[in-house]
Amino acid sequence: MLRTALKSLLAHRTRLFATALAVTLGVSFMAGTLVLTDTVSRTFNGLFDNVYSGTSAVVRAKAAFNGGANAGEQRGRVDASLVDALRGVNGVAEVEGTILGFARLVAKDGQAIGNPAAGAPTFGGNWTDSKRLNSFTLVAGRPPATADEMVIDKKSARDGHLVVGDTTTVLVQGPPQRMLITGIVRFGSSDSPGGASVALFTRSTAQTLVAEPGKYDSISLVAKAGVTQQQLVQNLRAALPARIEAVTGKQVTKEAQTQIGTMVGTFTTFMLVFAVVALLVGSFMIFNAFSITVAQRTRENGLLRALGATRRQVLSSVLLEALAVGLVSSLVGLALGVAVAAGLKWLLGAVGIDLPAGGIVFAARTVVIALVAGIGVTVVAAVSPARKASKVAPIAAMHGTVATGSGYGSKKRVLVGCAVLVCGVAALLFGLLGHLKSPVLIIGLGATVVFFAVAILGRTVSLPLSRILAAPLPRLRGAPGILARRNAMRNPKRTAATASALMICVGLVGSITIFASSARATINSVVDSSFTGDFIINSGAGLAGGVDPGLARRLNQLPQVASASGLRLGSAQVDGSVVQLGGVDPRLAFDIIDVKPLQGSRSDLGRDAIAVYSNVAADKHLKIGDRIPVVFKDTGPQSLRVALIYGSNQLAGNYFLGMSAYQANFTNQYDSYVFVKKAPGASAAAAVAAVKRVAVDYPGATVLDQTQFKTQTAQPINQLLGLVYALLALAVIIALLGIGNTLALSIFERTQELGLLRAVGMTRSQLRSTIRWESVIIALQGTVLGLLIGMFFGWTLVTALNRHATSVFSIPYTTLAVVVVLAAVAGVAAAILPARRAAKLNVLRAVVMA
Amino acid sequence: MTVLVTEERVLTEPAFAPAARTVDATKIYGKDQTEVRALDGVTVEFARGAMTAIMGPSGSGKSTLLHCIAGLDTLTAGQAFIGDADLSTLGDNALTILRRDHVGFVFQAYNLVTTLTADENIRLPLLLAGKKGDTAWIAKVVDTLGIADRLQHHPSELSGGQQQRVAVARALASKPEIIFADEPTGNLDSRAGAEVLGFMRRAVDDMSQTIVMVTHDPVAASHADRIVFLADGKIVDEMYHPTAALVLERMKRFGD
Repeated sequence: MLRTALKSLLAHRTRLFATALAVTLGVSFMAGTLVLTDTVSRTFNGLFDNVYSGTSAVVRAKAAFNGGANAGEQRGRVDASLVDALRGVNGVAEVEGTILGFARLVAKDGQAIGNPAAGAPTFGGNWTDSKRLNSFTLVAGRPPATADEMVIDKKSARDGHLVVGDTTTVLVQGPPQRMLITGIVRFGSSDSPGGASVALFTRSTAQTLVAEPGKYDSISLVAKAGVTQQQLVQNLRAALPARIEAVTGKQVTKEAQTQIGTMVGTFTTFMLVFAVVALLVGSFMIFNAFSITVAQRTRENGLLRALGATRRQVLSSVLLEALAVGLVSSLVGLALGVAVAAGLKWLLGAVGIDLPAGGIVFAARTVVIALVAGIGVTVVAAVSPARKASKVAPIAAMHGTVATGSGYGSKKRVLVGCAVLVCGVAALLFGLLGHLKSPVLIIGLGATVVFFAVAILGRTVSLPLSRILAAPLPRLRGAPGILARRNAMRNPKRTAATASALMICVGLVGSITIFASSARATINSVVDSSFTGDFIINSGAGLAGGVDPGLARRLNQLPQVASASGLRLGSAQVDGSVVQLGGVDPRLAFDIIDVKPLQGSRSDLGRDAIAVYSNVAADKHLKIGDRIPVVFKDTGPQSLRVALIYGSNQLAGNYFLGMSAYQANFTNQYDSYVFVKKAPGASAAAAVAAVKRVAVDYPGATVLDQTQFKTQTAQPINQLLGLVYALLALAVIIALLGIGNTLALSIFERTQELGLLRAVGMTRSQLRSTIRWESVIIALQGTVLGLLIGMFFGWTLVTALNRHATSVFSIPYTTLAVVVVLAAVAGVAAAILPARRAAKLNVLRAVVMA
Repeated sequence: MTVLVTEERVLTEPAFAPAARTVDATKIYGKDQTEVRALDGVTVEFARGAMTAIMGPSGSGKSTLLHCIAGLDTLTAGQAFIGDADLSTLGDNALTILRRDHVGFVFQAYNLVTTLTADENIRLPLLLAGKKGDTAWIAKVVDTLGIADRLQHHPSELSGGQQQRVAVARALASKPEIIFADEPTGNLDSRAGAEVLGFMRRAVDDMSQTIVMVTHDPVAASHADRIVFLADGKIVDEMYHPTAALVLERMKRFGD
């Protein structure tokens, strides 16, 4: 039976080629993702091993709270005097304080380097004299020696066209500083730590500019020869004050690697989702291809049965064929994975995610996962066609009747489909609305089940849908129109399965598009309803740092400006949950940001006070004067008094502080944004010119009007949307290949009919038109179903988020219309090859072949 | 004009140009050693308003001749004409349009498009041409063939005989110059076959149509006005006013 299966496989190799291609593409994407992320992980792991290789132990403040997967543990600083105290501890060979904070270099052309708001961070720190503790190596120049000197990383030097001897600006806390570059450094074997930009100053300069005078972020130690890391940590513990801890170098390395591992893991999951989508779409294609070939081989299978083959043998022959297709295409996909990894790296680079280079890692896990997924999908998709093949009666050898999947499908099928649909929707809603720790998996599962349910119901839905979609065709296109419509309706099961692949793609594209459009609409409404000023200055530093508060002070002195108020943002744990806590000047901010105060007084927002959003206050039964526990990384646990309850959380978040409370609890003071309201008498043009004249001293900060601010805030959304579209493109291509493949197989099946049509007077172009329109009907069917599902998904997604923030649900009609048109065009494209082949059909051979 | 068909209808008047003819038609398959001459210089005319049958043993070239005159296949040498049109000068598109507008076809099987109703199948060449056609004529044809109550049915809902009658109706629908039938009764039982042949006869007698039919069945051939006998790609004989017995007799001699 194995030989029969393989022979039939070879005989139909051209027909199975497109099928195999679907598996190959999906598997190569999956393997590519794994290769890329393994490579990145290993590069980072190697980097940290290298960086901490000389560190025996680290002394640091105990974690105040955990800021989540991306921020990690948040801790305060340690006193610089501790360094001297530790020097005397038994087993200590070397001690160095370490400083790491926000700093951003300015390039030769005056533009700030890097994009800390969306890309790799920009750091400032201290130059470490100890060779064993310094993770940087000088490749040019010398270390900084005075307060106006620094060394910078090689990548920043290259990006910013900076060389040793240049004097450039560096953005730090306080006013921007002019610094002489005395040296260029590398980080281990790479030009910069994972794409981050680094400026290193002398110890005291670093303390002043990026941290806090008299403090270190941590202290690194080297053990004397013969003292283990563990022993050193034991010795240190006795000498440490309260709330300070000592950990081994190994521990620190592991923590850094784990954190990177978590980030890479999130990224891997994100990418694998698309690989799974591609395989899912491919599975419909495999199912279709096997269904059609099995139908075409009815007579052959009947003959096998008549000659004594058992059902099980026929079944396993089809499954063996699937196994062989799955194996070969998975192996090819695996090999292509390396190229895909390079392509993905480029794609991510194009949207601003730079990954460090490193030797390709081809782990055994990659091979196993790719093969299991590829072969598994192929075989599982072939099970139902194989069962059908095994049910062929021996008598079919005589008639060779081709089973057709006409009609609406059985009542049982409809019931099962509806039940599955309900389950999928329930899982989706539970994932979105239930308070789950990690809802992604259950949401994904729910979405997949919904797609399958619609695929099951597809056959029932397909017939009326084809009828409606193609209704104008006979009038528009005459005989080819009539035939295209009837052909699409001839085998609803096949049409539905073919359309399902595209449905999944369009469903995802649709929901993401709606989600993005809603997010943009939300941004617009937030800005419109809460921002009553004229300009916004964006520091461009994201949450990592910001612009010198001096900017706002200077703006307030301008005659063209009525008021300018900075918004500071810092991470804190409020009543158990981590939030970005804003700080504003209550005297100035309320003219520009409308938070709709309800109770209490803004003038009461003092050192120990906090403002709470009314819904949160209601949830937690808080009233004016109540106390909330807040943990800051710098000042530890505090108890703040509710001084204001407000009705709009759109710009301010669920909690915010008055400036005096913010300054009391955060060491570093940066404005993330500065909100500006122009003086009543000043023209907008004059005001913006005046503001820009001041802002030019703060590179990286951009002056935006309302519209520009909306656009800039929406930019990450657009970027993500672009990335998702690019990644989904693969699945779309597979879906289109599927349509082409199904058409090609159908045409093969209809050879005689096509011959008849040609004989009685159908021209080649009419024949091509018939096939093209059938393809368009299938494509539109998938698109319409996909859009419906996409709108539903988009709506649930927005609704789920709505519980936390007032979001707007917005359907981007123009974009969705473009999707429909593109789908129709794609349908035409998918039909090109099959239509050409059909048109070249020898009329006579088709007619005579009786 | 040398060929006489039935004395009553077609005489030697030059005005009655043949509906189709071939001049020295030659069709060669393969090359050199494997060369097969399916048609070997066939010159034949098919008169208007008559039914002609082409007969001959298997491999005699009768189907090839039909396909080549009908514009379904091309000759290696010589010429084939439908009306005045020299088929060898026409490209695929022109040939297709010629078949659509001037030729009717009845095949042995797979005559109908399964997704179209009987009515749509009948009007298929007109639909393809984007024409409405002569509705009164089509109504008459449908009526004559006795399928008026079957027009909205799909082929799968029709019997074999009914399907062939629909095929005959389609062949007649556009009032073609000539109708080619390739074993039109080959898949039918004798009663249904006789019915279909009866209708074809009436199409010639009452509706002045021209039919050329390939068959191996002496009974079917006996419905024709004239029979052309082919053997080894050449015309070897012809017969007017055939009867089944005479045809059988003639066919037996091919076995020698």
